[in-house]
Amino acid sequence: MKKKLLELEKNALKALEIADDPSELEKIRVTYLGKKGQLTSIMKNVGELPKSERPEAGKLANIIKSNISKGFEEARDRIVIGKGDQAAFLDVTLPGREPLRGHLHPITLVIKEMCQIFARMGFTVVKGPNVELDYYNFEALNFPKDHPARDMQDTLYVSENVVLRTHTSNMQVRIMEAQKPPLSVIAPGKVYRRDSDVSHTPMFHQLEGFLVDKDVSFGDLKGTLTSFAHQMFGRGTALRFRPSFFPFTEPSAEVDIQCVLCGGKGCRTCSHTGWLEILGSGMIDPEVFRFVGYDPEVYSGFAFGMGFERIAMLKYGIDDIQLFFKNDMRFLRQF
Amino acid sequence: MKVSLNWLKDYVDVEMSPDELGHLLTMNGLEVEGIETVGQSLDDIVVAKIRAVKPLPGADNLFICQVDTGRDTVQTVCGAPNVKVGALAPFALPGVKLPDGTVIKEGRIRGEISTGMLLAEDEMGLTDDHTGIMILAHDSTPGTPLFSLLPLSDRVFDVDITPNRPDCACILGIAREIAAATGQIFKRPKIEIVEDGPPIEDLTSVTIIDPEGCPRYAAGMIQRVNLGPSPFWMRYRLYLSGIRSINNLVDVTNYVMMEMGQPLHAFDYNRLKENRIVVRRAQEGEVFTTLDGVTHTLNSENLLICDGERPVALAGIMGGLNSEIFAGTENVFVESAFFDPVTIRRGSKRLGLSTEASYRFERGADIGGAVTALKRAISLISHLAGGSTSTGFIDNYPKTYTPPIIDLRVDRTNLLLGTSLSKSDISGYLKALEMEVQEINEDELKVKPPSFRVDIGREVDLMEEVARLSGYDNIPVTYPFIRPSEKGEIPELLVRDQLRSIMVGLGFTEIITYSFTSPDSADTLGAEEGSPLRSFVKILNPLTVDQSVMRTSLVPGLLATVKTNILHDEKDLKLFEWGKVFTHKEGSDLPLEKNYLAALMTGFYCQKTCNSAERHLDFYDIKGALEALLKDIGLRGSVFQKETGISRYDPGVCASIFFSGSLIGHVGRVSPGVMADYDLADVDTYLFEIDIEALLKNVSGTKEFSSFAKFPAVHRDISIIVKRQLESARIGEIIKQEGGELVESVQIFDVYEGKGIDPTEKAMAFSICYRSKHGTLDGGEINRLHESVIEKIRKETGGRLREG
Repeated sequence: MKKKLLELEKNALKALEIADDPSELEKIRVTYLGKKGQLTSIMKNVGELPKSERPEAGKLANIIKSNISKGFEEARDRIVIGKGDQAAFLDVTLPGREPLRGHLHPITLVIKEMCQIFARMGFTVVKGPNVELDYYNFEALNFPKDHPARDMQDTLYVSENVVLRTHTSNMQVRIMEAQKPPLSVIAPGKVYRRDSDVSHTPMFHQLEGFLVDKDVSFGDLKGTLTSFAHQMFGRGTALRFRPSFFPFTEPSAEVDIQCVLCGGKGCRTCSHTGWLEILGSGMIDPEVFRFVGYDPEVYSGFAFGMGFERIAMLKYGIDDIQLFFKNDMRFLRQF
Repeated sequence: MKVSLNWLKDYVDVEMSPDELGHLLTMNGLEVEGIETVGQSLDDIVVAKIRAVKPLPGADNLFICQVDTGRDTVQTVCGAPNVKVGALAPFALPGVKLPDGTVIKEGRIRGEISTGMLLAEDEMGLTDDHTGIMILAHDSTPGTPLFSLLPLSDRVFDVDITPNRPDCACILGIAREIAAATGQIFKRPKIEIVEDGPPIEDLTSVTIIDPEGCPRYAAGMIQRVNLGPSPFWMRYRLYLSGIRSINNLVDVTNYVMMEMGQPLHAFDYNRLKENRIVVRRAQEGEVFTTLDGVTHTLNSENLLICDGERPVALAGIMGGLNSEIFAGTENVFVESAFFDPVTIRRGSKRLGLSTEASYRFERGADIGGAVTALKRAISLISHLAGGSTSTGFIDNYPKTYTPPIIDLRVDRTNLLLGTSLSKSDISGYLKALEMEVQEINEDELKVKPPSFRVDIGREVDLMEEVARLSGYDNIPVTYPFIRPSEKGEIPELLVRDQLRSIMVGLGFTEIITYSFTSPDSADTLGAEEGSPLRSFVKILNPLTVDQSVMRTSLVPGLLATVKTNILHDEKDLKLFEWGKVFTHKEGSDLPLEKNYLAALMTGFYCQKTCNSAERHLDFYDIKGALEALLKDIGLRGSVFQKETGISRYDPGVCASIFFSGSLIGHVGRVSPGVMADYDLADVDTYLFEIDIEALLKNVSGTKEFSSFAKFPAVHRDISIIVKRQLESARIGEIIKQEGGELVESVQIFDVYEGKGIDPTEKAMAFSICYRSKHGTLDGGEINRLHESVIEKIRKETGGRLREG
């Protein structure tokens, strides 16, 4: 047996020495070291030897196994890693043939993310027209004609009674008119204002959300928006609700989050206040319920609206709103 | 609105830092957008006394002044017309830096030494006054720092006043809010009047012909006033509020407006014909010139203040040139009225004339406060301009205001807010806001808001006040119960998300362009008369012509994006946009809004790199992308038909896409003419457009699994020579028709034109896969079927088998 083993060792090492390509090397490994290889089959027979010879034979078999393994590794280093000019050489640092990748627009990404957050809470996504009746965009939202509240939004008109919607709040009236409570709805979409300067684009994107049911409270509004902000900006993000005015909510609140850039210490982005205004909200005004035929003594609800551009700018650190609509590949490629 | 902290402090004690006050106001609904520090870089400016003045020889308007700075006397050259011996004026020594950054130097002017500078108000950044150096009226010692003499150091809060709170568009309104929030005492302006003139009824009268437009008109008179400039403190406060100083009479009216929120107007009494006032609507076409010199043509939407003969003011908006205070004014008539908000708004909108007065009237002035504001103004005028105040005031009040009495339920309040406030908490908050509160029973309060709170008329309005005063931050966070929806995502959105993902997977980048465009866009696309591309929805008040109509196609946006990117040397582009196009809809106020998906490719399919060869795009790249897209959303069997009639596409390289007989879109090469219009003449661009509505009709939403074939297939290839114009799809159809259900698939694997083939012909090679669902195919049977397929192709197309 000892002789057999030494013979095997000699053959294996010789074969390894002259091997010069990876597949040949692999063949040698299987022949000698594999599960069904020669060394394994000899070692299986150790058990059949007289008891006194077994330890020595076993020991020798192990030494030979280790020698062949070592020889194998040396051969592999020589062949595969390529220590000779002649060996096959793969330059792994050459660029791969990368398939061209497309990119979603950052606004789309933020819309998706935000809609997913609200959908997880149980809000349903709806869509509606961009060109809208004055009735849905203003009147039924308690913006009477000849009311200064209309000055809050510079409007693009198509005719006296038709506007480009100035907010996605038109969907509140449309959905409430068509459905009965309970409702929990979000409406993302494009909105338009007659406003164009360094910080405004005449078209932008908004998310309207609203919930109507029995016994909905301002506390519920705070809970919903707090949960949203924590999912969107991180668990620890502080929120601040402060009184404001929208014709279609009462009480109304603007919501600020702790500045995501400076963590509330004060920086240029938050005008050194530590807070960033991200959305408007409030309890749906009973006047709106009257327009859609809900009894405000029975139902209550809240609504909120926010701009996707603003949130995308905060999320990605974009400092110029105009970039969203220039569609420069140098911009789009980064998302 | 700009709000001076010093002015606020006249009416409420502020025991906190400016920043803390800013936070308090913001958290009470008066958003502070900024706090400006003023009058603070003037530490080095001192009071100086002018000891001697003599003209500078050879210069008309310059004087050599000897100035006592308290330490010594220096010589300075000054150009102000009002330098005079004995006057006290602010003085900056060399080295002092003025607020605009100028550093005062010692120098020579026309050979004369000039040390330091006597200062005008604007040079110190105090007001915009540059009529001369600032003459200090105070009897003070030279060398005294200026800031210890005058209340210059101040903070100016920029407060965003929401349209529902006109009562806060003044110092008192904000002071009142601070008092309510902090529990401090709210003080009121001083009014000291000595009525030593004749009874006002003997001097003038007020007739209101339109009580709807003017429910209240109060007036007072002072005779023999001394018209002149206002004192510095008043001008300074007006300046900080953003108001230009005119003279002491006009300044008082503005000062009281900024202080109390009541717009006032001062007329020159002697210029009022018949010395009386009539309030009426304008007649159609009536012409009137406001004091800014602009002449307006009016109609019955405009409310007018008239004298005995003619209009003298646009009520609530602006006074008239014909009756304004001027240098010769001796007797002044002061108006303090309440005008109907809608009337003022309509009038102001119609004329495009918006003023501090109209801003307040259209939001709602305090009808109950008109007389108090009038008295405050009279008090200030007589204090500053002397004169004799007539006895009594006119208060013509045809439409007496009745405050609303509102029932407020404690339970309901807590339910809506999610709070657990007690009745006395609620009552306390409301009383702090000057509301009268009466307790009816355990749950109910009757509340009467003050007349200046025009925003409060309903129970919910009171609830907001309770929430505001108790603090939004103190309302506990709770979570609503939301029922799981029974409806899934709407199909449009499902398909949209799917298509977007597929497009990105295919290497296309999403763009978002404006929904409005230029009316030229239809010409650029070569749209014929009557094409839906010309059915523009026009915007009445566009920002620019380029944004004056709603887009009827996504293509202009895509091409404009190509142009922008090529300018930045980004030439290999794969872009798509999902969006709406808008066209007129017969019989509807609203247009038709249709979703489209459009995608475009231009440049190289792949650039040459170290391990790949370059390749240009062609039609089959865009078509392939489209086919992959359609298959991926489960639309198998769409039909491409050659299309020559769509002008934005190259007529030789364009196809229409049909599914089950309905048109779903187009694909092809953008017409070179269209590209030339975008200055992209040499840029080869391929495009597809898909009508999403048409697509949705054919997408089932779910994919159906079909089990794998159990029996082996037999593959047979044929190569056939046919006329060049024959479309490959025709041969595919013939094979499927003739082969019947045993033909599992047909693939075209080669098209050859050129050497060995007649120039009018081409060779096409197909691989046919025969398979039966029921058993292993018999070789002989397949041979016979294959022969008949070939025979059929020959017969139908005139083609022949390609030999060898």
